[in-house]
Amino acid sequence: MKTLTKAATTGLLFGVGGVYLALVGLLEMMQARPIVFGAVNLGQAVLALLALACGAVAARDAGPAFARAGAGLLGGLLAGALMALLQVIVATVPLQGMFIAASPALRNMLAFGFAPGPGALAMLLGGGIGGLAGAVLAVSVPSLRRAIVAGAAAVVIAGVFQELIQLMIQYEGIIGWIRDFVYTWQGLRPQGAVAIFVIAGGTSLVLSHRSSAGHVPSPDQRRRRRFISAGVALLVLVLMPLLAGAYIGEVLMLVGLYILMGMGLNLEVGLAGLLDLGFVAFFAVGAYTTALLMSGSSIGLLHLSYWEAMPIAVLVSILGGVLFGLPVLGVRGDYLAVATLGLGEIVRIVVLSDFAAPLLGGPQGVLDIPKPSIGSFELGSPVKLFYLTLVCAGVAAFIAWRLENSRLGRAWEALRDDEDVAQALGVNLIRSKLLAYGLGAAFAGLGGSIFATMLGSVYPSSFQLLISINVLALIIVGGMGSLPGVVLGAIALIGLPELLREFGEYRYLFYGAALIVMMRWKPEGLWPSEVRSRELHAAAGEAEPVAAMEPG
Amino acid sequence: MALLELSDVQVFYDKIEALKGISLSVEAGRIATLVGANGAGKSTTLRAVSGLIHPRAGTIRYDGTTLAGRQPHEITAMGLVQVPEGRRIFGRLTVDENLAMGAFTRHDRRGIAEDRERLLQLFPRLRERLHQVAGTLSGGEQQMVATARALMARPSMLLMDEPSMGLAPMLVEQVFETIRAINADGVTILLVEQNALMALSIADHGYVLESGRIVLSGPGRDLLDDERVRHAYLG
Ligand SMILES: Nc1ncnc2c1ncn2[C@@H]1O[C@H](COP(=O)(O)OP(=O)(O)O)[C@@H](O)[C@H]1O
Ligand SMILES: [Mg+2]
Repeated sequence: MKTLTKAATTGLLFGVGGVYLALVGLLEMMQARPIVFGAVNLGQAVLALLALACGAVAARDAGPAFARAGAGLLGGLLAGALMALLQVIVATVPLQGMFIAASPALRNMLAFGFAPGPGALAMLLGGGIGGLAGAVLAVSVPSLRRAIVAGAAAVVIAGVFQELIQLMIQYEGIIGWIRDFVYTWQGLRPQGAVAIFVIAGGTSLVLSHRSSAGHVPSPDQRRRRRFISAGVALLVLVLMPLLAGAYIGEVLMLVGLYILMGMGLNLEVGLAGLLDLGFVAFFAVGAYTTALLMSGSSIGLLHLSYWEAMPIAVLVSILGGVLFGLPVLGVRGDYLAVATLGLGEIVRIVVLSDFAAPLLGGPQGVLDIPKPSIGSFELGSPVKLFYLTLVCAGVAAFIAWRLENSRLGRAWEALRDDEDVAQALGVNLIRSKLLAYGLGAAFAGLGGSIFATMLGSVYPSSFQLLISINVLALIIVGGMGSLPGVVLGAIALIGLPELLREFGEYRYLFYGAALIVMMRWKPEGLWPSEVRSRELHAAAGEAEPVAAMEPG
Repeated sequence: MALLELSDVQVFYDKIEALKGISLSVEAGRIATLVGANGAGKSTTLRAVSGLIHPRAGTIRYDGTTLAGRQPHEITAMGLVQVPEGRRIFGRLTVDENLAMGAFTRHDRRGIAEDRERLLQLFPRLRERLHQVAGTLSGGEQQMVATARALMARPSMLLMDEPSMGLAPMLVEQVFETIRAINADGVTILLVEQNALMALSIADHGYVLESGRIVLSGPGRDLLDDERVRHAYLG
């Protein structure tokens, strides 16, 4: 009975989720992204994924195999029923006045091209089959399941990002031949999809076979493996713009700027535990300082070169951070978030004001900021600026890493845990907190400085609260207090949505979902810091491996 | 000579007068105790000494110099270290890392290593748990970590806030043994307790605090025999 109720609720929940995705217009938009040309599009893939996941979740803890299959089937049928109901309603009732996405095209998609009646039946059936398959997948051998998931994921990635990947493999000869085998200009060919599925799934099978036949990797080995994969990722990051050109260069540039800011906020929030929602202010200070020092326009101050302006911008940002920290020194927790939120807005409004307009340009901003140049070599293109960002991010990462393991880093961690105790142990509260704000601001200021020269102009409207929220979200998703986490978070939350740019207006829907999913299933983030994951696991009552060493 | 001396100290939380002018002194090398019921102002007294809150009136002198206007970390650096109430250890750090945090202000590696060794002899249980995450320890063990962490700063005086709170009777006894041992090593102690019986029996001098006022004081033994104390605190 309990199994039944659970399967039913799961089915209804997934159904409601599907209806929601349809009504906000996301499904229809996804339909326009082909995965396998002429056969499967992203919208259909998401529907299938919903049914599979629904079945898998419904089947969890359902006891014997047949009960699980039944639970998966029931869940999938119910979810499908809701979607079918939606399709029939859209077909019969004019809903578009209320939900603009409830269009004939959506109905057509939800009915798989059939008339409303047969379409509803098809959706119901599809849901049931998907749910059953999900349940079967959930109870199947782990290595097989992993292989299927890996294969499917590889196909989806290869399909969704086909434009980008094709751009990178514009060569003659063998590469060209492979490309033409796998892709047409509009998407994957069926034969390409099959090949990718087999290769990715097979690789996964071989890998899991090897690790199960051999031994369980020790934490040390796992860590080494992680660092090797991180190194490979970095190499890809470095080479990608060279291979894929300006567009990816721009996207990566943005990712790089957010990595810089993420590392800064990570010092404040991740290490020192100072929740800061006004972080964009430091980015603005760096950008405006650079702009004013370099600009050739009438409010430009000194017409410095970028290499002179950047260090000054960083110093001014540090100063800004310390000044920002002073009024909120004694504020803790939730109140700090609100106070910093206010401070950040104040900075933007001051820049916008008539009062500061003669100095800062008001809403018109500061224009005519030259690009950096080395000798006579101008860093004019996004790709060249990306490399500048990459170098800066590398230096910043090194500094952040050293800070983390320094006395100051330990003082921050102690303050984060317990201010009173930290002070009782001799931590200088005022200095440590101001340094956290100041150094965090330095990173953001450096980012702002690059941002200013990249755009060639700065406007107050570029420094919205949303930037602070984006940065906070990326360090939460990546893993608080973890440097590699910042990089992963920036790629996942800034880079990916940028690549799927037609879904731009749904970005925050994606953020919300990602944050909820992370908090529910992986609260320590994608690549957690060691201490943070310890904390969460200790809280969950799981004994540490060392704890097992207790003498009898 | 009095190492710590409070005279007429008054502390307010907004409009609530938590300490209504208290005076006490602790002789160097001794154990003094401040006993009183819940809410009497014991923790407030220690917080004022540590510099975590500032008295509205009165003076606090340590080793001859006034503590007025000093930051908590400066007071710690003077050798006056508090073990706060409720075993506030760093729960997600290991025992060893907690101890290392205790030596935050010190730079003499050799001395730190020696002190760590000495403390692990004083608390053999901690040696067994050295790499365990401190948040997973039992209450008694956490109290040991908190005490050992404070001692890592090599204090000349220790302020202990209800170290026996919430511990089983057998462990309580152990805690007081330890306090004696620490004192025997030359550390002056100001012990705050609700457990008046135990505290007064190991203290050289005791003070009884009631609603922010010191109502009785004298040698620990005498207070233990005092009719009023027996009536109010020892049942
Ligand atoms: N942060 C605070 N704000 C307001 N009142 C407080 C605060 N801390 C303690 N008090 C009040 O001060 C009095 C003394 O508290 P405390 O020193 O903690 O007592 P004890 O440690 O003896 O139990 C109590 O009445 C308590 O309610
Ligand atoms: Mg208390």
